[in-house]
Amino acid sequence: MELLRPSSVEQLDGGLFLHGGTEVVPLLRDGILRAERLVDVRGVVPRGIGDGVVGAGTTLAELEVDPQVPDALREACRLAASPQLRAMGSLGGNLLQATRCWYWRLAYPCRLHGGERCHAREGEHREHAIFANDFCASAHPSDVAAALVALGARLRTSRRELAVEELYRLPDEADRRTTTLEEGELLLEVELPPVEASVYLKAMDRARWSFPQVGVAAARHADGTTRLALAGVAPIPWLLDGPDALESATPLERTEWKVPVARALVRRALAAL
Amino acid sequence: MARLIRTEKEVEGRFEEVWLVVEEDALEQWPAGPLSVVGRPATRKSGPARVRGEARYTADLRFPGMLQAALLRSPHAHARVKRIDLAPALALPGVRAALGPGEAPGLVEEAGFVGAPVAAVAADFPGQAQRALDALEVEWEILDAVLDPEEAVARGQLVGEPRRNERGDVDRALAEADVVVEATYRTQAVLHNSLETHQAICQWVGDTLEVHISTQYVWGVRAEVAAQLGLPADRVRVVCEYMGGGFGSKNGPDEYTFAAAELARRTGRPVRCALTRREENVHAGNRNATIQKLTVGARSDGTIVALAGEFTNSVGWSGWSSYTEGPMQMLYACENLRTVTYGAKVNTPPMKAFRAPGFVEGTFGLECLLDELAARLDVDPLELRRRNYAHANDGTPFSSKNLEECYRLAEKHWERRHEVRARSDAVWKHGVGMASQIWFGGGGPPSYAWARVGSDGRVAIVTAMQDIGTGTRTAMAQIAAEELGLPLDRVDVVLGDTARGPYASISAGSSTTPSMGPAVRAAAADAKRRILEIAAQRYHLEERVLELRDGLVLSRDGNLSVPVEEVVGLLEAAQILGKGARGPNPTGMSVLTFGVQVAEVAVDVETGEVRVLRVAAIHDVGRIVNPLGAASQVEGGIIQGVGHTLSEQRLLDPETGAVLTTSLDAYRMPTMADVPEIVSEFVDRPDEHLTSLGSKGLGEPPIIPVAAAIANAIRDATGADVHELPISREEMLRALEAATRRERRGAAAAV
Repeated sequence: MELLRPSSVEQLDGGLFLHGGTEVVPLLRDGILRAERLVDVRGVVPRGIGDGVVGAGTTLAELEVDPQVPDALREACRLAASPQLRAMGSLGGNLLQATRCWYWRLAYPCRLHGGERCHAREGEHREHAIFANDFCASAHPSDVAAALVALGARLRTSRRELAVEELYRLPDEADRRTTTLEEGELLLEVELPPVEASVYLKAMDRARWSFPQVGVAAARHADGTTRLALAGVAPIPWLLDGPDALESATPLERTEWKVPVARALVRRALAAL
Repeated sequence: MARLIRTEKEVEGRFEEVWLVVEEDALEQWPAGPLSVVGRPATRKSGPARVRGEARYTADLRFPGMLQAALLRSPHAHARVKRIDLAPALALPGVRAALGPGEAPGLVEEAGFVGAPVAAVAADFPGQAQRALDALEVEWEILDAVLDPEEAVARGQLVGEPRRNERGDVDRALAEADVVVEATYRTQAVLHNSLETHQAICQWVGDTLEVHISTQYVWGVRAEVAAQLGLPADRVRVVCEYMGGGFGSKNGPDEYTFAAAELARRTGRPVRCALTRREENVHAGNRNATIQKLTVGARSDGTIVALAGEFTNSVGWSGWSSYTEGPMQMLYACENLRTVTYGAKVNTPPMKAFRAPGFVEGTFGLECLLDELAARLDVDPLELRRRNYAHANDGTPFSSKNLEECYRLAEKHWERRHEVRARSDAVWKHGVGMASQIWFGGGGPPSYAWARVGSDGRVAIVTAMQDIGTGTRTAMAQIAAEELGLPLDRVDVVLGDTARGPYASISAGSSTTPSMGPAVRAAAADAKRRILEIAAQRYHLEERVLELRDGLVLSRDGNLSVPVEEVVGLLEAAQILGKGARGPNPTGMSVLTFGVQVAEVAVDVETGEVRVLRVAAIHDVGRIVNPLGAASQVEGGIIQGVGHTLSEQRLLDPETGAVLTTSLDAYRMPTMADVPEIVSEFVDRPDEHLTSLGSKGLGEPPIIPVAAAIANAIRDATGADVHELPISREEMLRALEAATRRERRGAAAAV
């Protein structure tokens, strides 16, 4: 295995991108990811917080303490992971992390791994999805992604610009990926439009270092609209079309409990705006 | 004089008849209360070495030429190895040896659970060993697997015979009772998750097998390794200087040790076999799940007239059926009692002792049932417990019992409930709950220690015990310092090596301090007697007028006052050696520990979040040797208990029986942010019948009442009856909904 350290986008030439390593290294160790070439992109991805633009290489620890950062994103960072992980983990890496579904993490031949069935649906799924869970019941673990969706953030990659929700796609029979990022495409910057107010609320099963059971981000935008986005409820970050949209949730037997939790957090988030 | 006796010995609630050699315990107990060193807070002797990284744990050890072993584990819940081909693995670079089923103890042909070890390899590097496992070709014959404990009981697939206990006439008492409460409680499987995973390094030095292992019992490992490998016990040396957690899961050697020993024999090199974190969460033992169907009958004044329970322990493929019915049998006075306990043999990883095995689970059921009874009778839960106080253990007197004093000390915490409840608002409901604790913890013989006093006036307590992280080194040094009249910093404790010290007790069953403390004191007293004998001759005084205090040899009339090193210094390079042994436990008495905890919680009734805000713990474990270390034990037990109560759960795939929670992000132990305010208090009264020390153990008691105290606080806060652990948001919301439905039915009935 080789490790490359390019210093510009032009030097990128395939391989598996690595930034903080908090996600990629464990997945390599578990054999979920395989690579002959690791590319440390810390010399390529911008890092730092500017006027409405955040480098995708900025760590969660840097974001959580910066007053320029909208409340929802700051809080999403603060409530994520542990201090050690936040000190290493980058914004871009956080958006690209994979599900915590234990079947996927333990390499069961599930649909996300290209297999024939979702083991969680018939098996142990108490932490899984309540929306879009028919094909794959995994829950997306990124607090930060939900916050960015609510904030209406846009992404700049090494090849294009897109809305943050366009980064994600639901897996289907033909294509099992959960992001639209192409081979060799690298997240560079996140553009944050100004918002009037924003909030992130998170249900965890312990006080810290817990992926969201349900995370609710809400932002009131300058045009008077409010955007709601949820973490931990669908295979991708879930843009919620208003509080009533929770009534159309399709929970599994053991994820029914997430619906009232989401309802309460949505109500509280809207009240807090 | 040494006496040979046949007696019943208890470890972790299991009893067995054994031969014991016991020696006189001639020393008078010290007076109660804090002394010069004993009873005073002392920081850990090993603290600086630990924080500086100088303390050498088994995981830190590397020997020249050492190989890394890895174990092939069954992917099936029940299967037989029909054929295995080791050759492809042996052909890989760096691979030095491989073992198939039966080639080392613990490597089995019939795998009874996903994760059962069947083969082992040793290679130069861990990665090579892992690749070698992938290369092993195994043909499996899949066998019928049972995962559900109730199905196993129905099929008669049991570990041991069902255990039945009966006294009085339960059916009649229940028929005559004013109130009968029945409930079913379920507790989950939880994992020890020791910070240092299970591991051993084996190397042959001449014809002696040297085993470096993270263990709670160096002598037990020595005996079992010798027996399994067919070696004389003296050809096995076991070393464990520091270890990173065991909680009952490291009482023996297991397959990783046997495989390392056999691979070391075949390769002539040291072999390390260390479980990964994922393996640790599969096959390092667990607190098994239980199902408890309980009944209590009482008179309207709160007198309990009958207790009955049907307990199912989901033991796993092997292990033992823990004493889940123990609290029901022992905690309260009740003439009519009937219990039956089934140990379900299921195709899941085997249980191991886990900090008060059985009693943690059984106390959750019993003490929740008590509070449901209290609610039904509208009797104060503390009053209900006092009204049913047991003054003897089914006819056998207690060596000491100060639970009543625990209750008295708990009153001020219990009184807070009015003020705590008043903090409730529409969303967050606050409440207070309590639960009592009963457990063993008396320790016992045999255990030995030596006290070596050098000419510099320093003392080394030498004994082949182990400090499993509880502060044993410090407590033993305190006892020796007290007896020898020396400051604590003049006493060192040398432990953890069967080749360098006498036999010492297992560090399990809350037995280390009560087993070892008296032996250490006796050794120190023996050394002290010799020092005074020498001083008497040197200064021409009678021995009986001399004493050791503050590092001085003093005569009672005050005329002689010389540093102890002046006396011992006469020996130059030679030393004084005192020897001590643990005396017998009192005959015809129950030696037990007691306590009560009062928990304060807040429940978010909309999202099911439970926060434990405060736990006050009052325990009665005889004399407290080190109040600081004791508080630390209580804090650790309560934190572990909070995890057990709220967030920890080993999950299995219902289809394959494989453990799904194999990493620390999936298996959720509490973080510092989950730790409540913890108040620990002790009834610091020596047990006058128990040894020259009067101390019992404290390792296990603090975790026992935590779950029930929290569940009872939740009931106090919300009216919801929690019947299942862990109290996840899902379980909490379910219990709240059931309470609301019950309330509606009640309201409808009232109309």
